Amino acid sequence: MKNFTSDVIVGLEIHIELNTKTKLFCGCPTKGSEEPNTRTCVTCLGMPGSKPVLNKKAVEFVLKLCLALGCEISPELIFSRKSYFYPDMAKNYQISQYEIPLGKKGKLKLKEGKEVGITRVHMEEDPASLVHPAGMKDSAYVLVDYNRSGNPLAEIVTEPDLESPEEARDFMKQLITVLDYLEIFDVNNGIIKADANISIKEGRYTRVEIKNITGFREIERALMYEVSRQKGEVKRHKTIHHETRSWDSESGVTFSLRKKETEEDYGYIIDSDLTVVDITDKWLNEIKKNMPELAQDKVKKFVHDYKIKKEDAEIIAADKELAKMFESVAKQVDANLAAKWMRRELVRVLNYNKKELNEVKINENHMIDLLELIENKKITDAVGQQIIEKLIESPFDVKKYVKKEKLEAVSDISELEKYCKEAISENPKAVEDYKKGEKKALNYIVGKVMARTRGKATPKEVNEIITNLLKRAEL
Amino acid sequence: MKINDFIQQVKNNQVDIVEHTHKVIEECKKINKEYNYFNFISEELALRQANEIKKSVKNNDKNIKNKKLLGVAISVKDSICVKGVESTAGSRILKGYKPLFNATVIEKVIEEGGIVIGKTAQDEFGFGAFSVNTKLNIPKNPFDKERSCGGSSGGAAGLSQKLSNHIALGESTGGSIVEPSSFCGVFGLCPTYGLVSRYGLMDFGNSLDKIGPIGKNIHDAALLMGTIAGYDKSDSTSLDSNHADYKSFLKEPVKGMKVGIIKEAFGKGIQNEVDKAVRKGIEKLEDNGVKTEEISLELPIKYGIATYYMIATSEASTNLAKYCGMRYGKSDKLEGNFNEYFTKVRSENFTEEAKRRIILGTFARMAGYRDAFYLKAAKVRTIMINEYKKAFKKFDALISPTAPMLPPKFSEIEKLTPLQHYLADVMTVSPNVAGLPHLNVPVGFENNLPVGMLLTGDHLQEGKLLQLGSVFEGK
Repeated sequence: MKNFTSDVIVGLEIHIELNTKTKLFCGCPTKGSEEPNTRTCVTCLGMPGSKPVLNKKAVEFVLKLCLALGCEISPELIFSRKSYFYPDMAKNYQISQYEIPLGKKGKLKLKEGKEVGITRVHMEEDPASLVHPAGMKDSAYVLVDYNRSGNPLAEIVTEPDLESPEEARDFMKQLITVLDYLEIFDVNNGIIKADANISIKEGRYTRVEIKNITGFREIERALMYEVSRQKGEVKRHKTIHHETRSWDSESGVTFSLRKKETEEDYGYIIDSDLTVVDITDKWLNEIKKNMPELAQDKVKKFVHDYKIKKEDAEIIAADKELAKMFESVAKQVDANLAAKWMRRELVRVLNYNKKELNEVKINENHMIDLLELIENKKITDAVGQQIIEKLIESPFDVKKYVKKEKLEAVSDISELEKYCKEAISENPKAVEDYKKGEKKALNYIVGKVMARTRGKATPKEVNEIITNLLKRAEL
Repeated sequence: MKINDFIQQVKNNQVDIVEHTHKVIEECKKINKEYNYFNFISEELALRQANEIKKSVKNNDKNIKNKKLLGVAISVKDSICVKGVESTAGSRILKGYKPLFNATVIEKVIEEGGIVIGKTAQDEFGFGAFSVNTKLNIPKNPFDKERSCGGSSGGAAGLSQKLSNHIALGESTGGSIVEPSSFCGVFGLCPTYGLVSRYGLMDFGNSLDKIGPIGKNIHDAALLMGTIAGYDKSDSTSLDSNHADYKSFLKEPVKGMKVGIIKEAFGKGIQNEVDKAVRKGIEKLEDNGVKTEEISLELPIKYGIATYYMIATSEASTNLAKYCGMRYGKSDKLEGNFNEYFTKVRSENFTEEAKRRIILGTFARMAGYRDAFYLKAAKVRTIMINEYKKAFKKFDALISPTAPMLPPKFSEIEKLTPLQHYLADVMTVSPNVAGLPHLNVPVGFENNLPVGMLLTGDHLQEGKLLQLGSVFEGK
């Protein structure tokens, strides 16, 4: 065992559903009808006499992942049978990899730059899904749906390098970004699941495995719960057991599945229905040639080529779609302006609406039009914000819209002065308060002007004009 | 009548194939009453095929001319899937199971006009040398009903002796084609591993299983071999090699060929009658100009059984896991949890021998033992192949008896210990472990019982074996 010093130690085993068109060992589609047991054939049902045939595309997907994580890649791909009896297993063994994983010794950087070691990356088939009609604990029977049976999975095992639930969450987030860039995982609908091994200093690092955590938000919740549970046990002078627990997302607790007296024995043997696949240099080079730029490459490029701030670059690059849009936009308008507007306003509005960029119809042309108007001071920031909010709902021609709605900034000082004078004469009480030294009263008057101009003037300008007008009045 | 002449008569519309098939089915039923060669006679399928052939012949369908097996009755070992026809692999756990698809060999046979007459009796999943390890039918020796047909393709070999104008599809994992062929006095050819597709074969040991022909005449075996050999994309272990025109080898002279007589395969442990008959067979080859020389091949005889049983049972124990009373075959009243349920179904329906092999194989691949057993066996296998390869630099084929004894009586078999039972395979397991083609040739009778000689060739040298075997045709 490593010499641990940190308060919390976490290692993850992550299962990623790859978004290939067909399953790992048969031609059944991985997506489509949700009617149970319709996307199946004799192979993914494990019928006697059926044989697996490897989906080469899935191998390429996992090779991409290995390359992105900087893994050493095995020259041979060998599949093994992992034997255990479970109702979701068509054959009561799972075709997986054992002694020699496809990739090993990789790493992934967290946001703050910390490197997390990747022990191994391997391929395996997904079991079927079990449906518990009355909930997991109370159902008298389970139903099996083989639609998922045989879907290709990549399994990633990390070193126990993570030192908090937050780091675990960050790791998952960084990983999902990589998967998104590689286009080997459906970020919106794909399933990514983690089993976490977690131990705490107070518990003398007794390892507890938490199964069944879906998504990066859940991992933090589950681990935070588990840390406090373990601390509570220690406080109450109870021992922490070496055990497997399950995460129940709904009630937000982990519960014990089984104590681990010994490690499970899966009786691995080579699956001789499948031949050893050579991972040739030629094949690898072909894949390397077609590797997309990853988030970390993008950050470097944005900082170097577009001269934007590193923090901005990191936020933009973390979302593949946003990064793509940024690159198009930054070619047309000032890159810093684009960065500012995209990482702040666009992301804010998306988050507020709980939407992903690829779920809304706002595109780079909308952003270019909008930012050109802002850049040339044709509209104010406030109007810009309003337009983004509207664009999220439905797309329209930004320039025409601004004209039609008369949203151009009021650049004519005399016109602005007219509005300001009106506001002063209509609000004598505020003027009085301001003169008495109540600075806030000025904001009230500015607000009145802003409302009248529907944000077409900048608050700064209005502020200056009113201050001057009031100063002049005093003289 | 020779099969070739029969096929010609069918093509020329000189035989009413429907009437003929009716007769064949009636004869099968009659033979079956006495000898138990079938688990299922597929009368309906056979007559449907016969009617189609009759129609094609009548319509002068020009494709008919090229059909290699037109009208020939083909029996199928029960472990090979035939669509819609009960296929049990000799196991009660699969009683009632009708596969949803044809094995590739069945597709090829039907394509060439072969008529599928039924599923032949065997040891459960191929676990045995005498076809007695089954809760279904136990076939009886065509020369003495008190005696065994051998196994595990016992029904196939017995029927080949009894039924004319018929060829059998057998299957071998450790000798299950040649050993019963020896006991029933017929030609059985087990091909190079991978030459014939295993798609649709219910697995025993995936790295060992091979489908091959059994025929009363060597010509018949060569004919069926030519039909079923060849690459199949549905079987990943299928060899992508051009297969030969096997029949053409039968006419080639044997003069000048060199065979090695395996020294360790004669003498101790071999019944005198067998020794005598095989030596006569060798003399006959010498009379035809074949050069013979003794060769010592210690490893295959000494370690063959141990190596074979470790690999075969390790693989078998994973293959049999899928039979758990779900989805197909035997099921039971749903009671208790999953573990209790499948344990009940398996306990009730597997034979003692199947249970023994599951336990043995599971043990051999358990953590802590797999290095000493499963992985060690895999290493010995490689060494064994190398030893054979060295011998084939010098020889066209190697010779040993096929079985160390004459067909035993059922009463004698009952008294054998499991180890004595396994020793019946002593001559045949090693060529199987090495994936080498091997052929049984009937060399004569002792005590009115047939004796077989085993010819083993280098990978893909089936032709040479047929060439040598042709010396024994029709005698």
